[in-house]
Amino acid sequence: MGNKQTIFTAQQLDAYQDCTYFTRKEILRLFDRYRDLAPQLVPLDYTCQPDVKLPYELIGSMPELKDNPFRQRIAEVFSEDGEGNMTLEDFLDMFSVLSEMAPRDLKAYYAFKIYDFNNDDFLCKSDLEKTLNKLTRNELTEDEVRMVCEKVIDEADLDNDGRLSLEDFQHMIVRAPDFLSTFHIRI
Amino acid sequence: MTSYSNGGFFNPAYHDSETLEVDRRSSRKTHQHTNPYARSEGADGHYSTGQISSDDALRRMPWGQEESWRGRESIPMGLISTRPRSPSWQHDINHSTFQIPPEPQYDRSPSVRLPSTTSGNMTMRWRGISMRRMSLFPNGDPNQVALTEDAIRDEMENEEQNLVKELVALSTRDRIRAIRDLSMSFDEKKQIRSQVLAFKSAKKSRQFTCFADCSENMSLSFRRFGYGIRSARQTLELWQGIMKEIGGTFGTSVLSYFVFLKWLLMFNIFSFLVNFGFITIPQLVNDPWPDIPPNVNFRGLEILTGAGYFNNTIMYYGGYSNQTLGGLVEYNMQLAYFFTIAVYMVMCGIALIFSMASSFKTNYVLADPTSSSAWQLLCSWDFNITNEKAVRQRKNNLRVQLKESMSEKAQRERLTLSESLKHFGIYLGSWLLSSGLAIGSGASIYYLCQFEQQRATDAANWSLLQEAETLLVPIVVSLINLVVPLFYSLFNKFEQYSNHRNQIYALVVRNVLLKMSILAVLCYNWMNVVAIKFACWESMVGQSLYRLVIIDFLFLMFGSFFGEFLSNVIGTRLFPRLGVPEFDVARNVIELIYAQTLAWIGIYFSPLLPAIQILKFFILFYLKKVSLTQNCQPPRRSGRAAQMQTIFIALLFFPFFVGALSIVAYTAWSLTPSEQCGPFRGLNSTFSVIGVWMEDLEEISHSQWVVWIYQNVIRSEIFYFLISLIILVMMYIFWQVTQGRKLLIRVLRQQIVNEGKDKSFLLERLQNLQKSHPDKRSIPKNQKKHSKRRPDDHSSGGQSTSNAMVQALLARQQLEEERLSTGGVPVPSDISTSNALIQAMKARQRAEDQEREEQYIPAYYESPINTSSSVTQAMQARQRAVVEGTDDARDLNSSVSSVMMQVMQARQRAEEEDMPQWVPAPPKNQTPAGSSALIQAMLARQQAQNEYDDGY
Repeated sequence: MGNKQTIFTAQQLDAYQDCTYFTRKEILRLFDRYRDLAPQLVPLDYTCQPDVKLPYELIGSMPELKDNPFRQRIAEVFSEDGEGNMTLEDFLDMFSVLSEMAPRDLKAYYAFKIYDFNNDDFLCKSDLEKTLNKLTRNELTEDEVRMVCEKVIDEADLDNDGRLSLEDFQHMIVRAPDFLSTFHIRI
Repeated sequence: MTSYSNGGFFNPAYHDSETLEVDRRSSRKTHQHTNPYARSEGADGHYSTGQISSDDALRRMPWGQEESWRGRESIPMGLISTRPRSPSWQHDINHSTFQIPPEPQYDRSPSVRLPSTTSGNMTMRWRGISMRRMSLFPNGDPNQVALTEDAIRDEMENEEQNLVKELVALSTRDRIRAIRDLSMSFDEKKQIRSQVLAFKSAKKSRQFTCFADCSENMSLSFRRFGYGIRSARQTLELWQGIMKEIGGTFGTSVLSYFVFLKWLLMFNIFSFLVNFGFITIPQLVNDPWPDIPPNVNFRGLEILTGAGYFNNTIMYYGGYSNQTLGGLVEYNMQLAYFFTIAVYMVMCGIALIFSMASSFKTNYVLADPTSSSAWQLLCSWDFNITNEKAVRQRKNNLRVQLKESMSEKAQRERLTLSESLKHFGIYLGSWLLSSGLAIGSGASIYYLCQFEQQRATDAANWSLLQEAETLLVPIVVSLINLVVPLFYSLFNKFEQYSNHRNQIYALVVRNVLLKMSILAVLCYNWMNVVAIKFACWESMVGQSLYRLVIIDFLFLMFGSFFGEFLSNVIGTRLFPRLGVPEFDVARNVIELIYAQTLAWIGIYFSPLLPAIQILKFFILFYLKKVSLTQNCQPPRRSGRAAQMQTIFIALLFFPFFVGALSIVAYTAWSLTPSEQCGPFRGLNSTFSVIGVWMEDLEEISHSQWVVWIYQNVIRSEIFYFLISLIILVMMYIFWQVTQGRKLLIRVLRQQIVNEGKDKSFLLERLQNLQKSHPDKRSIPKNQKKHSKRRPDDHSSGGQSTSNAMVQALLARQQLEEERLSTGGVPVPSDISTSNALIQAMKARQRAEDQEREEQYIPAYYESPINTSSSVTQAMQARQRAVVEGTDDARDLNSSVSSVMMQVMQARQRAEEEDMPQWVPAPPKNQTPAGSSALIQAMLARQQAQNEYDDGY
């Protein structure tokens, strides 16, 4: 108890608990996980809010993310600098959104951002192709890739503008009940 | 920063705005920049605000407070604007149009303000809002949206304030939930939270401070207490690590079996606690030692058979007394037994109905079977999976599935009549065969039971052999349960279902039929044969259920040995063609459901059966986990696990729980309890215990209302008649409402499609209008294209680089703009502009170089000085360019400026027409009226453009 409490102040812990879906214990556990990535970089005392960022290489090497085909996108989307370098808060935020408690809309929003490779706020064909290639190890022929992407857009595009907006995506997610359990990383 | 690597329609001016940040809160109402259709001339207007803001920044410098939130990037702006001649006369015109009120308002702004870091972090919300706006411009030229940037910023701050206000109004709990659900980065959430808290405390401090303090402290400690409880509950959470491991290697669909198992375990723990607490403990307190006949000893076989020594213990119905226990309070065992079982069954039913209904709502009603590829591509990836091999396999599977789904349609079309007849024949055959198997096993169990009843005697002490004979029926039942499903799986291989889901459904339905027929035969035997033959028949039924539960457990172990281990050995050693088996979730879940049904039926006859069930499930969990990790491979198909889970809960409820409930109810209602043992001895039926209780109550004066309720509600037909009538009426109303909703959904969907058409029509119209004046706009267009490509080339660069770059680019762009306006002016101006251009480019180069250096030196990685100096240089370059450009512009005659005025006014008009539609209605649901206003606005602008062009 005594040792753990010096990492964060009570106010910090309150703030963390109010802004994420985690309890105090989970926050401390996540802090340990974060610190384990680079014990020499991360101080044991966060009460003075040190400005520490772990580079993407370390974040991406976590066992939870290591084999995920979207690990780089996940890190980019959740990091403040957009390049995958994460502060502790980004780190907490990431796992909070990916936790079981996060509501569907929040998850859908971030999933959309993860699939939106070129950050243009739409899932266009190139985004879908990239997603598909990441998911199938580039083993589909070009024709097949094109067909699948067309089919996806055809199925999910409500307003017929040839690409998926966040609304389209959310609409699709509402009707895909598995999403809640699959867009979830256990810590 | 993610948003800076833009895909083509992110305006460079956004970056500008971050450096030239002004407090728009004070000037919100005077800005007319909301028109999203503003085009190239808009850039001038925008620039003018930039100038003004820099002046403002200079004027406001003394207030250090503002400085802090405007951010570090505004410092160079202030330095630059010390240049005396910075605003040109041309900009002054614009200044008069886009007047910003003087600053006194600014100082009165509320204590809630954007903290300094906001400008950097805003991207999420920026994007949220800009997304909605930009969606009108699929191929948008950046300049078309130049002016919306201000509006967006306004709206953003507005929204943020509204958000804070909304949050303040909420209760603490709702507020925390709302903050968590915001789609923002952590920092922003934290800021909003602190703003809300500050706002709250400010509001409170005006009230009685002591009271406010106290209530604040109270709520804080309550919240901490709540978090503490949540933490403690998480500590108690079972098997988290194992769940993670299973999910990581086998994915969510296999994990759902374990989740279901855990859920059932919780059910049983609850029921054990209830039974133990309300029935067993009072019995034990009253009579700690069971009255076992002296010649009965514990022989060891009882653990399997449950007979003999156990027969007279509290394990079974027969071990409980019918007395009213004395002591501090009177405790009527009969009532306790009856109500505990009844309340438990009702609570189980309610819990099942609720979980089934909510699961149906989310997983079935909303689910859409048509969008299979979209689902496969975008929703099916399991982020749980952390195992490299599993990831590889899953990728493979997805590829195969996608290919299949593509070829599926082609296959379906090619199906001829003979082929479909053949398919139909196979289906019919396998269905007949499987139903025959189910009926046959039911019949064989019936005869076996009759055979057993003839041999069994109602004696207290059986010989060891007699005791062992009782195991015959449970072993046969479990054997059937083990073997027949394997046949079913075999049939399933021969039938070629086009759809994987149908295949699973077929398998599930057959298994359910089998288990139902077995249970029906067993129950018939208990109710009609055992109940007549034995003196203490409830205990006998309890024993048989105990045996079934235990033997079923043993066979489950065998099952995972034969089903998984053996097929693993066969698959890897003997026939490598078969491969490593998959974990059959459907079969395993139905086994669980069957086991749970036994426990439910047994709850009346053997109140402590849940304890056995807990033990069974607990061991089964580890057993299945080991078997899974040792013998199985991840499933080849990623079916829709959530839907399967809904089906399982529904199955658990409908045939199985309802069946168990009706059997228990039939027993309590119609069967005569045994006369020698049990709490209900001497009564006609179990339910008549209520009648006896009511008679007792009638004598007590102040409990007349209970009797009244019993006589006028429970026992009156008219009450149930009314209730059913009301329920029928309500059902009809809700059905009508559903029909109405369906209609509404259809209409709304049509509306979405129509609006999409509207949008494309408007865009086409706009493009046509632009094309109708191609010659006059050709030059700027080319140049713009040229300048537009730049940011894309460097999109991967960091934020500060792109910032500086964008500054330089903007400088150039404006120069070009001005060169256009000075069209007829001879050579010297051209030289000067290109001069400035070169300078701007150089500045950019320098800025970029510096950025690159920074990236290599980690120590200065985030040094604000470097960034701002590069920005400063870019800004200076731009400033100079502006000044030189305006020098040229001065040479123009005044007619140009008057044309400019006209243009600006025309646009103003257009925007004013546009405003009412834009402000109140969220951009998502643009009404047709709005779009017609839009067309008008565009036409007005076009006209203005023409006038402008004719001015030369």
